Amino acid sequence: MICTSTERDQLVNQEKLTFSGFTLSVHGVLEDYEIDSIRDFIEEYKRSIFNAGKLVLDFSNSPGIDSVAAAVLYGACKQFTRAGVRVRRTGTLPVIENLFETLAGFDSMPEPHKKRMSIRDYFENIGENVYEMGKTLYSLGHFFGDTLYAFMNLVLRPMKVRWSMVLYYMEESGVKAIPIIAILTWLLGLVLGYQAGFQLKELAAETLMPAMLGYIITWEIGPMLTAVLVAGRSGSAYAAEIGTMQVREEVDALRVMGFDVFSYLVTPKMIGLLCVMPFLVLLANFSGIFGGMLAGSLFLGLPPSTFISELGKALIPLDIYWGMLKSFIYAVIIANVGSFMGMRVRGGASAVGKATTAAVVLSIFMVIIADALLSLLFVHIRPGLSL
Amino acid sequence: MTALKVTDLSITFRESSREVHALGPVDFEIEAGEFLCILGPTGCGKTTLLRTIAGLEKPDTGEVDIPLHPDGGGPVIGFVFQQGALFPWMSIFANIEFSLKAKKIDKVIRRQKVESILEMMGLSSFSSSYPHQLSGGMQQRAALARSLVMDPDLLLMDEPFSSLDMRTSQELQENLRELLKKASTTVLFVTHNIEEAVYLAGEVIVLGHRPGRIVRREIIDLPDRRSRLSDTFTEYLVSLRKTFESLVSNP
Repeated sequence: MICTSTERDQLVNQEKLTFSGFTLSVHGVLEDYEIDSIRDFIEEYKRSIFNAGKLVLDFSNSPGIDSVAAAVLYGACKQFTRAGVRVRRTGTLPVIENLFETLAGFDSMPEPHKKRMSIRDYFENIGENVYEMGKTLYSLGHFFGDTLYAFMNLVLRPMKVRWSMVLYYMEESGVKAIPIIAILTWLLGLVLGYQAGFQLKELAAETLMPAMLGYIITWEIGPMLTAVLVAGRSGSAYAAEIGTMQVREEVDALRVMGFDVFSYLVTPKMIGLLCVMPFLVLLANFSGIFGGMLAGSLFLGLPPSTFISELGKALIPLDIYWGMLKSFIYAVIIANVGSFMGMRVRGGASAVGKATTAAVVLSIFMVIIADALLSLLFVHIRPGLSL
Repeated sequence: MTALKVTDLSITFRESSREVHALGPVDFEIEAGEFLCILGPTGCGKTTLLRTIAGLEKPDTGEVDIPLHPDGGGPVIGFVFQQGALFPWMSIFANIEFSLKAKKIDKVIRRQKVESILEMMGLSSFSSSYPHQLSGGMQQRAALARSLVMDPDLLLMDEPFSSLDMRTSQELQENLRELLKKASTTVLFVTHNIEEAVYLAGEVIVLGHRPGRIVRREIIDLPDRRSRLSDTFTEYLVSLRKTFESLVSNP
């Protein structure tokens, strides 16, 4: 079939909408995949239409229109009418007119009553959520396994590790976290020392404060607060970084090129965190104890020399090592959960935001569970703690 | 020689309690060196089909068969994404060289190949620029260079020119035709632009509405040098357009 030149120009140039004065003319068949262009076109001439105060939709050159495209045009016309613009159609074939009338019919339909949820629906919802959570944890388990496999491969071939990226993550997640961790643990140590000291002073046992504070800081507060802060700072950053790469199809590009995304994207983050977390925990312990020492000397009349000697009597090296050991486990959790949430991102930028929030929540949740299990174990390991 | 064989391929996505049958069953074959366009309306599963062939999605049924590389290694697959997917932290040179690193190609040969493809694509003077410093058309050109530098056995292209203006898009279509003349690569090109399909392809497959199934297969019997204004070109355009129209009116 040979086309006339007009038909050909229309097809080639795709100029299906034109606007002049107050008339919006449709040429040819508007289709569902063209709705974005229709919206853009209307947006472009919106101001002119409002200024003119009237709009004529001219369908003289249109044999038909897809229902989705018609709905977009109808929606735009409704907005114009609400804003006081007089809208009318001209040159419409019955097939198009019927479509617009059908769409207008939906306006007069009553709002459907919201169905009340029955008890069965509630239980179904709970069941579905539990099932989804189970599926997420199962996928996370798989993800841990894949990362561990990639990590073991890199341990056997350390030259394959992207050391430049490891150093980058050590700086981002470790060095840059020093001020916030130092300040917060120092403040917490100060407050704990002050509050515990006053309670103990009532019993004339303020010399027990250094030991109590030492245990609290080295067993729990130091490692836990460090993990929570690193999860908030770095876990979310990992999820956002990988999530954005997912949205921009960069992760798929890596896969197609034959790169193992676990070795390339996840393990440098994990190795970086494994390298810095123990030192961050040491720093947290030191700052917290220093805060407690300051509280003792300022409010309880406990000189630093006494504080240190009491602390030295109470703590054993295992207390410090245990916190550092826990930090390795927390590092693995934070790096994996952050990366896992990033990898699950589908869709656009809003999904990245959701992934970062989910990464922080799940990381902290898993760190607390791991901490509870490790504390149970610690009771059996540490001399002088057996029940 | 067959470069790609897709047999009974079907995909269903499952999310929460919802199931979406996205594609298939689909069967087709491409001969080596052929340029096949997959044409279809939005949401019909074109991209899903391409991603499955690239190994990025797992099919529920069916299989994708890509013969081994003549030297006995695995087939080399290139993929040009809709948004280019260039790595923003790398220069254009590093982006293109990066795909060769995975193949463990010697550094000197790697550099030679990158320089040569940059010249072919007219990007030599932008080799040290970063993706955000380039226009959309140039970014897509770089993305195409990144795939072609690997000498792929099969090049998969997912609406690579859809986000560009008409003029740039047509320019890139011409570039692509010129490049492929020299490379003799098998290409599977996904688009919803009928004109683009007729201009580029040796054969067009039209997929229907979701779940995408083949509704038409058409050999485009046009010469290598194609004019968009020739009568035969318009005939193919109108004929394929009619198939599209019927898909719209009978979803």
